[in-house]
Amino acid sequence: MNSFQTLFTFLIFPSGLSVLALGLAYDWAGRKVVARLQNRIGPRWFQPLADVLKLLSKEEVEPSGADRFLFMALPVIALAGALTAVLYVPLGGLGPAFSFQGDLVVTLYLLSLLTLCIGLAGANTSTRFSVIGATRTLTQVFSYEAPFLLALLGPAIAAGSWQISEINSYAQSHWLVILQPIGFVVAMIGLMGKLEMPPFDAPEAETEIVAGALTEYSGRGLALFRLGKDVELVAGLTLIAAFFLGGVTNPLSFLLKTLFLLALFAVLQTLLTRLRIDQVARWWRYGALLGLAQVMLMILWNIWQGGL
Amino acid sequence: MTSEEALNKAGALLAPLGSETPSPDPLRKDAILPPASLPAAAAALVEQGEFYLSAITGMDLGPEAGQLEVLYHFCHAGAVVTLRVQTPRQQPEIPTICGSIPHASLYEREVVEMLGVNILGAPDTSHLYLPEDWPANTYPLRKDFVAPQAPDSAPEVGESQPGSSTGRFVVPIGPQHPALKEPGRFEFSVDGEIVTGASVRLGYVHRGIEKACEERNWTQGMYLLERVCGICSHTHAFAYVLAVEKLAGVEAPPRAQAIRELLAGLERIHSHLLWLGVAAHEAGFDTLFMYSWRDRETVMDLLEKLTGNRVNYSANILGGVKCEITSELAETIRQGLDFLENRAQHYLTVVTTDASFLQRTRGIGVTTYEQALHFGLLGPTARASGLVRDIRVEAPYGAYKSFPVSVVKETAGDLEAKFIVRIKEIFVSCAAIRMILDNLPGGELAARMPRKIPAGEAISRVEAPRGELFYFVKSNGGEKPERVHARTPSVNNFASVMQLAIGHQLADVPMILAGIDPCFSCNDRMVVLRPRHGSPQVWSWDELLRYANQVVRR
Repeated sequence: MNSFQTLFTFLIFPSGLSVLALGLAYDWAGRKVVARLQNRIGPRWFQPLADVLKLLSKEEVEPSGADRFLFMALPVIALAGALTAVLYVPLGGLGPAFSFQGDLVVTLYLLSLLTLCIGLAGANTSTRFSVIGATRTLTQVFSYEAPFLLALLGPAIAAGSWQISEINSYAQSHWLVILQPIGFVVAMIGLMGKLEMPPFDAPEAETEIVAGALTEYSGRGLALFRLGKDVELVAGLTLIAAFFLGGVTNPLSFLLKTLFLLALFAVLQTLLTRLRIDQVARWWRYGALLGLAQVMLMILWNIWQGGL
Repeated sequence: MTSEEALNKAGALLAPLGSETPSPDPLRKDAILPPASLPAAAAALVEQGEFYLSAITGMDLGPEAGQLEVLYHFCHAGAVVTLRVQTPRQQPEIPTICGSIPHASLYEREVVEMLGVNILGAPDTSHLYLPEDWPANTYPLRKDFVAPQAPDSAPEVGESQPGSSTGRFVVPIGPQHPALKEPGRFEFSVDGEIVTGASVRLGYVHRGIEKACEERNWTQGMYLLERVCGICSHTHAFAYVLAVEKLAGVEAPPRAQAIRELLAGLERIHSHLLWLGVAAHEAGFDTLFMYSWRDRETVMDLLEKLTGNRVNYSANILGGVKCEITSELAETIRQGLDFLENRAQHYLTVVTTDASFLQRTRGIGVTTYEQALHFGLLGPTARASGLVRDIRVEAPYGAYKSFPVSVVKETAGDLEAKFIVRIKEIFVSCAAIRMILDNLPGGELAARMPRKIPAGEAISRVEAPRGELFYFVKSNGGEKPERVHARTPSVNNFASVMQLAIGHQLADVPMILAGIDPCFSCNDRMVVLRPRHGSPQVWSWDELLRYANQVVRR
């Protein structure tokens, strides 16, 4: 791979501009569907882009008592983590840009980086809302991270590989949403938790703690965090579509499957009331158990098959 | 116990403590007491007479008389017993009644800051409405009050660091906060997610309306009082005109009375739907918020068709109303009610069956019957705890005698019960409005009112969407009122929230707060500071920016 190709991979496709554009488009689509379901008109198609551009041009107000370097660096790291994760997922159904045995684990950790950065960003500033938001964010990470991981391990065990591209091609012949429904549900809810979507938006519940961990972010930092979330939304949807919905092999199947999942998210967001943080933690105890049960079943199934 | 029995009992209780004075209203009893026997009289009324304290009105009788008078209004159903205590202007001292009535503290604080009465033994005498830097010995409701000049410098901005010197972690909510649509300041100290302490500071939207009424004529006062609250504006005008009509000895024609009740019903529907949306939003259930506010448009449109206005209706005039209901309009209202009833039925199903919503309401923020009584709760908040406080039923006024309403009562006292009570009240209001439309009395819309109102005092009690609204109006026979006092239900209900919040999750606090349907602008009424000409209070953009940066970078 020559350097031009590498640059193209990093900056244009799949990571970089294309995924940013896709993230903003998905952000808009999600908001629009929720708005229509709630009897609102919803944003115009360029609203997320306009928001980001406006935020980028705004003055960044630095709160007193915060570590300046961390304050500036965390949004960058968060976005970089999400953009890197995109390199390993079959974005647009065209196959991952990079691939190696075990890239699933790397991707999952890269996807967690964003949430960890948000938590740290909140803990870094000394505002009460941020501190409480950070505590909630990190509590929630511990709640859903394990179930999410376990849910995605199910397809990996079924495919007998920890490489995303191989699982993707295995999934084309096996619709795992039918074979592993528990894993699918847990993965979906896990992604909602990761993205702090309602009803898992306790870490940024505006009626209690304003904007949670990101309360003090106003300009560029906030824009980067939001972009990071949009990118993570796309990456997460791609992973779930590739693993559970019969794989993504071409742009059309990618769009159809991920948009279907996005619509599902919108419906859940509309229907449910925000959970308190203790309720989230309680819920996830079952989530982890379910995920674990799924993995155990898969392992037992493999042993039984191997035994035959 | 009926109102008459209650009055007789009160007379017997008060006979040894003070002298009775004649009262203009058969359902009222006034007693003049020496300050020293006030606490005993208050305790006797509450503990033996089954009365509750409804309001405390402070009055300045003027520099010539040299006396301040404080009126303690106790109510039982339709009966009102007023304890009148006079104290010299030079050294005003009255003992506290908080010993037997804890929630009197808020009213006493109002009397302290507005009239400078020294309440002996009061648990708290700090400012309730006026700013902390209000000049000492300046009491707005005294007749010789001169408005002080605005201070030269902006008030000091307090340090905001978590974990202050007390070692508690305090979460400030307000004066500006996304959970609050109106300004108020709450401080919750938390241990993790659990609330361990709470305090409240009000007065950010204090506009000086009671004082301003004294400088306007009787008609102007009505329009001003309508602006106490943007949600229950008709109720304020309603209570005021009832009191003034009582003073003038004029009764509004039956048709006007019926239209007033109809408007109050529409307003209640509007208020409850608005509340439903806000409360759902506090819980993070935005879908219900959007739907209920969409449907609220229907009732707003009806109000607009009826009065011409969506918010401050200005439908009343002294002696009647100025809006007519034609048969086409009646048909439009009926259709609107059909739709609203249908929707309310749907919301009732949602709030009683939606599992994720019930997780946030069932068993949360429980107010027991005893607590409701103890805190002096009013309106739907009290009725959700099984305490029936509804003036429309207890002491029917205006058209409520001919078009009665039924009481909605729940006993659980939690947030779910508060939702159920308010939604069911929408049905009650719809039924009452239909009854009025079907049997609308004919005749004039208004009776003639004199320009000067005969001297005297009148009390009117009206059921606002949030509970009993208490108006006290005094005339000296002139073109302007001598004193107008409004006690809004939110004041009563506020004190309970601070107690209830303790021990709950921080996440439940906004909902518990919303549960009483607080109305900040109703709370905050009096006194304005007149800014000086060209004072530093008028800031240029640069100055504002500099100040903002100063605050942020500190």
